[in-house]
Amino acid sequence: MSIIFSKELVELFAKKDTVKVLATTDAKGMPHVVVKESLQLNESNQLIYFELLESSQTNKNMVHSIWFNRPVAVALIGTGGESYQIKGKPVKSIVSGLLFRDYYVKIREQLGDVDLAAVWVIEPVEVIDQRFNIRSREEEIRHPYFKHLDRLAK
Amino acid sequence: MMSIVPKPKATELSFEEVAAKYPQFPRLLLLKTDLQRRGVYYTKQALSKVDPVIHQLGGTHIFGTRDGILTQRPEALILRDGTSVITSPTPLEQNPYIVDFRDGRLVVMDGGVELEEVEYWTKPDYYNLTTSSGIPMSHVASARPQRIYLMPSRYCHFWTDNQGCLFCDIVNNLKQQKSELNLPPRLKPQDVAETIREALKEPGRFTAICLTSGSDFHGAEDFDAEVDYYIEILKAVGENFATPKFPSQLIATAFTEKQLERIYRETGLLSYTPDIEVLNERLFEWICPGKARWVGYQEWKRRMVRAVDIFGRGRVNTCIVAGVELAKPYGFNDEDAALQAVLAEAEDLASQGVSTVYTVWVPRPGSYLRGQKNASLEYYVRLALGLQELRQKYQLSIDHDDYRRCGNHPDSDLARI
Ligand code: SF4
Repeated sequence: MSIIFSKELVELFAKKDTVKVLATTDAKGMPHVVVKESLQLNESNQLIYFELLESSQTNKNMVHSIWFNRPVAVALIGTGGESYQIKGKPVKSIVSGLLFRDYYVKIREQLGDVDLAAVWVIEPVEVIDQRFNIRSREEEIRHPYFKHLDRLAK
Repeated sequence: MMSIVPKPKATELSFEEVAAKYPQFPRLLLLKTDLQRRGVYYTKQALSKVDPVIHQLGGTHIFGTRDGILTQRPEALILRDGTSVITSPTPLEQNPYIVDFRDGRLVVMDGGVELEEVEYWTKPDYYNLTTSSGIPMSHVASARPQRIYLMPSRYCHFWTDNQGCLFCDIVNNLKQQKSELNLPPRLKPQDVAETIREALKEPGRFTAICLTSGSDFHGAEDFDAEVDYYIEILKAVGENFATPKFPSQLIATAFTEKQLERIYRETGLLSYTPDIEVLNERLFEWICPGKARWVGYQEWKRRMVRAVDIFGRGRVNTCIVAGVELAKPYGFNDEDAALQAVLAEAEDLASQGVSTVYTVWVPRPGSYLRGQKNASLEYYVRLALGLQELRQKYQLSIDHDDYRRCGNHPDSDLARI
């Protein structure tokens, strides 16, 4: 079943000052984490980002992921303290065709003389609200043992 | 829709068995390789989804198809990872994969099972135009999703003396293309310049230009005629670029150092691919009699190695028609022995800076070896892994002949990671 994003998350994707991070791994499991400003949602509620460098480690790792069904993770951090993690799987690499051409024109209008290697499409499989107050409340409920006793002393 | 259950030979592993035995080989590339090996059959429903305004139909090709029909089918397929699948429509009785349209999606089927969603290639804008001399630009240059493919001359002079390569149907295909499509057998530089100019207007479409032709041994020195013509055509291509060099590949005869220096100096060419076709001296002499007579196997290898000094490491490679080394009656009887021999020769070349790629042998009806069977899927997987390992071992890049610049070599697709 496809993931439905909350209104807050959709807005977070659209905001210019949101920090968007993509984490991938290579064939040996070595992690690679980069900021990807172009991360956004498409009309099908999938994540897409523009890969400008064909030889980048992220691009190689994305190919590895689509070939071997390995997940990737995206982190979004908003200026208002919002913090989300989205796990997903690359399902498509758009490297040619009419859609690619539209993206190519769009990215060059935005960034000037850059190339576009691929537009990666990531199918989200899990969204985690990473805000500290949310995560700590969850931990309180699920793991009452995970705390130092002095915090509970009279 | 008709369902066809593939029946590999008893000793051959099935698709799933190969997938299980070689988990390091991506399933999408396994499918591509097998689509090339077995070919495809388009159902009526799949063909009804071809829109000639949007999609690229098969047309101007240097080699023919498996079913001998030239036009009105989709040029080829693209998989969801961006992998191109250049494959030939194949008669149903030869057990091809089925391309069908089901539940609003174009899919590849086998044995009634849906394997992958696929897309047809998009037609480039210049396919709608004609040159000032009145030739449709689609007849001047054919397009892959990301490369412009020029075939300046569609005649191979080895055929004149009945010495064409045994897997090749270039001249028979030319005759058919001339009569059915009215293709010019030899391109004029002006038509090429105009076509490239239009092709480059399409944003984000092309990443490389590739030239290939039949061999022409005429000239003051053997093959000077072929060299002169390529220079003429490459100069016409180069008129459209602001830089002296541009991403390009020449697939041609193994020329002498003097000839290659001229090409490199006088044109924008960046890489060179003299196809040796078969990496075995004895079989080269049988399968490529023209190449053997005019250049010779050892000299072909020497010329490739010398070309590295001109074009640089990673910019010279050669292609083999994989599986033809098993052709009857003189080929290897055993796939293990064939693989060992081919990879040993490929390593000899790689250690000297020349990389090897393969295309899957398609025994075309217009070739001498028609009616034969190509190798097992496992053979192609082992060969692809072996060739890519050699590139890694000797640190040879294959950027000019990779999944994007070419898209016809399962082994160089592996270079994406
Ligand atoms: S050299 Fe061989 S493969 Fe190339 S066109 Fe001539 S006959 Fe065909």
